[in-house]
Amino acid sequence: MPRRQLLLRLQLLSNPMVLCGVRGAVSPLASVVGFGEEDCHKITLALDEAITNVIRHAYGGKLERPIEIQFHKLNGSPATKPGLEIILIDRGTKARPEALKGLPPGELRSGGLGLHFMRQSMDTVVHTRVGSTNRLRMVKFIH
Amino acid sequence: MRGTRSILVQISARHLENTTIFDVTGDIDLANSPAVRKAFLSEIREKKIPRVIVNLQAVKYIDSSGIASLVEGLKASRDLKARFILFGLSKSAREVLQLSRLLKLFEIYENEEQALSAESV
Repeated sequence: MPRRQLLLRLQLLSNPMVLCGVRGAVSPLASVVGFGEEDCHKITLALDEAITNVIRHAYGGKLERPIEIQFHKLNGSPATKPGLEIILIDRGTKARPEALKGLPPGELRSGGLGLHFMRQSMDTVVHTRVGSTNRLRMVKFIH
Repeated sequence: MRGTRSILVQISARHLENTTIFDVTGDIDLANSPAVRKAFLSEIREKKIPRVIVNLQAVKYIDSSGIASLVEGLKASRDLKARFILFGLSKSAREVLQLSRLLKLFEIYENEEQALSAESV
């Protein structure tokens, strides 16, 4: 059995209207992989926030720009747990380093929560710039 | 009663004496949080309603942009010495508010009766 298996690849356009469709797809997918209801909700929230960030920040609110999402099942091994890996690729502007630090929640402020939600919901959240693309890798393991 | 409808969300307002109750139905995300925010701020800033109550019983999903709309409603209310009250949070909405660590900043009640009868805190 391969350690990493592509389950689904989505090609989207940057538009807030796609969010509900993605939420509708990811939760059942996470459930099939083996996550419980609470973790399915966390994975859904993390992906929703990641796409929201791409639309708002990488593409500056512009519509019809490409977003690719890959869902990989991690089968686990004696050394690693099974789980779900989500890779998000966009062709927007490079994120400013200070934007990736995240802001402490708990203050009465209406911005900066998305990245915090992603980090709270997933085990791994890594942003990289590869050529002219932004690549976000998020992993959640089945505990 | 009047209502506004956006993608996957419906906001309707009931007007009582010195109070507006918003009944929000659906998901609050980037697609529709601007409509939610606009409804709140219109009532608070333009109509100067001293108490705005938000019924979230039928909100099944809320993300950071939805939380931001609630925060803006609360900030605008505080600026005008008005009250901004939430009730009927679903399990997932409560979890997201908890994750934001903003839960304690809001005045939250289980149901409409409690929200209406609660004294100012």
